[in-house]
Amino acid sequence: MVTIVIDGRKVKAKENSTILENTQELNIDIPTLCFHKDLSSFGACRLCMVEVNTNGKWQLATSCNTSVEDGMEIRTDSDRVRESRKLTTELLYYKYPMTEAVREVARKLGVQTPEEKGESHDCILCGLCVRTCREIVGVSALTFQDRGRGRDIDEPKIEFNPNSCIGCGSCAYVCPTGYVQMESGGDKRIIWDKVFKMVACKVCGRFFAPEDQLKYISKETNVPFGELTTCTDCR
Amino acid sequence: MDKVVFSSWEGRAVDNRKGKAPKASKGRDIAFPSPPEGEKALALMGWNGLVVMNPKANIVGLTLDYLKEVRKLSCGECSVCMIGIDKLLDIIGKMAKGEGSKADIAEMKAIIKQVCVNSKCGFGQSALFPVMDSIKYYKSDFLALIKGEKKLEDKDYSCTVTAPCMDACPAKLDIPGYIELIRNNRFEESLDLICENCILPGVVGRVCTHPCEDACVRKDIDEPVSIRLLKRAAADDDLQHGGSSLNGPQKEREERIAIIGAGPAGLAAAYNLRLMGYGVTIFESLPHAGGMAAVGIPEYRLPRDILNHEIDLIKRIGIELKVNTKVEKLSLKDLKKKGYNAVFVAVGAHIGTKIGAEGEDKGYEGFVDGVEFLRNLNLGKKVKPQKKVIVIGGGNTALDCARSCVRIGFDDVEIIYRRSRVEMPASDEEIEEAEKEGVKFNYLMTPVKILAKDGKVTGAECIKMNLGRPDESGRRRPVPIKGSEFTIDTDLIIQAIGQRSELPVIPDKEKIEITKWGTIKVDPITYMTDVEGVFAGGDCVTGPAIVIDALNTGNQVAKSIDCYLQSGSLARGITFEGVDLKKQMGRGFTVKAPAQGVGFLDVKERAGSFEEVEGGYTTMEAMSEAQRCLRCYRVVVWEKAI
Repeated sequence: MVTIVIDGRKVKAKENSTILENTQELNIDIPTLCFHKDLSSFGACRLCMVEVNTNGKWQLATSCNTSVEDGMEIRTDSDRVRESRKLTTELLYYKYPMTEAVREVARKLGVQTPEEKGESHDCILCGLCVRTCREIVGVSALTFQDRGRGRDIDEPKIEFNPNSCIGCGSCAYVCPTGYVQMESGGDKRIIWDKVFKMVACKVCGRFFAPEDQLKYISKETNVPFGELTTCTDCR
Repeated sequence: MDKVVFSSWEGRAVDNRKGKAPKASKGRDIAFPSPPEGEKALALMGWNGLVVMNPKANIVGLTLDYLKEVRKLSCGECSVCMIGIDKLLDIIGKMAKGEGSKADIAEMKAIIKQVCVNSKCGFGQSALFPVMDSIKYYKSDFLALIKGEKKLEDKDYSCTVTAPCMDACPAKLDIPGYIELIRNNRFEESLDLICENCILPGVVGRVCTHPCEDACVRKDIDEPVSIRLLKRAAADDDLQHGGSSLNGPQKEREERIAIIGAGPAGLAAAYNLRLMGYGVTIFESLPHAGGMAAVGIPEYRLPRDILNHEIDLIKRIGIELKVNTKVEKLSLKDLKKKGYNAVFVAVGAHIGTKIGAEGEDKGYEGFVDGVEFLRNLNLGKKVKPQKKVIVIGGGNTALDCARSCVRIGFDDVEIIYRRSRVEMPASDEEIEEAEKEGVKFNYLMTPVKILAKDGKVTGAECIKMNLGRPDESGRRRPVPIKGSEFTIDTDLIIQAIGQRSELPVIPDKEKIEITKWGTIKVDPITYMTDVEGVFAGGDCVTGPAIVIDALNTGNQVAKSIDCYLQSGSLARGITFEGVDLKKQMGRGFTVKAPAQGVGFLDVKERAGSFEEVEGGYTTMEAMSEAQRCLRCYRVVVWEKAI
């Protein structure tokens, strides 16, 4: 355990825990958009900024991926922190003014959000889908498309590899803006424009999972495919 | 340095514009990037500031072009940088259309500050800094644009992208680029990017002495990013997936080029020339291609199949390789008769230099040259282990010989070096592993006489040294201590103090200049010798260097030969000599994290085996290490003077 100071309060923190883990335990409200407790931190949205002092200097740092050190001082609500979060929100709002997840953050942080006709579901490049697919599902069907020198791509985006995707829909579940759409109807599921054949439960007949997903589970667990074709309700 | 009209480089303002009080720059001149020799720039904008050389420069236009270039490198993996740059571009666009106002200037400043302080990577934190300078010091130009008094003109801009690691790399690899691709689990694309400048990635990823890591910004924070091991990871990943082939040329050309030497320089030139469509034939005197990588580096550092695989890939795009073919006479006239239009000499440096000890020319059994020793070993010759061997020298060749002897089964392996550990040119990693393997190191001594009986070596008479004043290499000169002679008994002596080239015979009518060190003299930019159409590069020009040096030379020679045959001109870029590339005005908070380690073969298992000692990264380890890269891209845009 190490000792840190959060907003003037001395707190005991687990070694190598992040600042955000500790502030959440203390119910201190810090806005996030790209954070998920079950996934590795990414530091993309830049909303969770706090001020940190470890060597005599106060610096802004993202709380989601900054680990605590013994003696670290943290300010979660200083003027500088609030200004930083507001300016970041203004930039996000500038680019995605019609996306509800961004509008929600903007309203919370005092950015004017006039009424819009209609709604967008922009990809805000938070990377939650990428990390979910890689860390939870394990098939890495989604990656950031590279920019870098010599790559004259207009917009960075999330790239989908149809050969790896098993149609589980975890990315759609975790997407904060609704950009990732999953359509289910009858014996088909469509996600990222790929059509998946659904398997019907051998007990109740309900279409409950893509065949590719059950095949993947069977391969990973060595449980025969035939034993997986019963839906969770009927088990 | 020519007097500038204005400079804000590294935060030091030098303002010599009309009407401003001339400010003498305090302290020493700070070096900023300079255009290639012979070219002039009106103004340039780079990550550390704005430099104006000519009052005619269009600062607003330069700023706009800089923002466009910088936008290409903004990866989108954090919110503020990409959106911030977009917003700045939108604002300038508005100004140009007459829809701007004075308030926009304040807004631009606020955005720039926000991006600099809140960006995720070193690039975002540093890129917009000079834009603040142009708004601050050339505010009237922006106001003129807003008022419609000035228009945005389309000027001729050039752009260079570098990074501290990229500039240190002899082949100028896009290091943050290939690391970024690994971070995003795109190993294939990473390898493609690496192969644009380095066609032996598995080799270099194992044996490079990594000047890039020495220049890495993270070295001053915690540990440098393991750039070399990441390169190896990209190459290993490809092998694990079956090993993809290289793309061949898009079109065929008539001309044919002869390359003498299938070492890294020759292979890189061959690959690039072939890619341009030329016919290529490599003449190699040894039974295998690879040069020093094949016959100088032992297998426990570079497994043979890794090198062979990469050579094979190069051959398969249509290169003719003639092994066991020594070119005795270098005559372009003869080669032209055989249908070649140009020749590239890349014979390397495969002859060991002598120590100068008495008896070294007597041909005693048990006194061998290190380069020859390693070559014979790599070509399959069996060496019988004896009790003791002393290796003379302090470079990687000496280390290679010593560690090989441990594996062959010598009981007592000792390295003798005439200076101290500090001056030893061998890499720290090599020395550490050698010490673990039981190699003894004896510093500050050198042999003066080889002792032999019945034509066989029995020992060496050595003398102790002191370190005196520095010599031309900058290292302290070893000075023998009179009367300190002593004898070391040994069965084998290996000398590994240096290498020189064995050049083909050069006919009088086609004389090319050879330097006093026995290397070929070439033009530093075109790599051409005194004879038109004869090019040279690699160790036979520079003296012994590292693999990536040779690969870069091969790349450059290919471009130069192409220009020579097609009457083109070589493109030259901006130089960063003397410029502090590590420095950026403002850096975000960086969490300290050590480098990802790799496994090493247990010391007990190394004796008697030439199995590879250093392990590589798994996919997950590589992606995790890649996250430590701070993406220190440095962009420079300049307005050319016509």
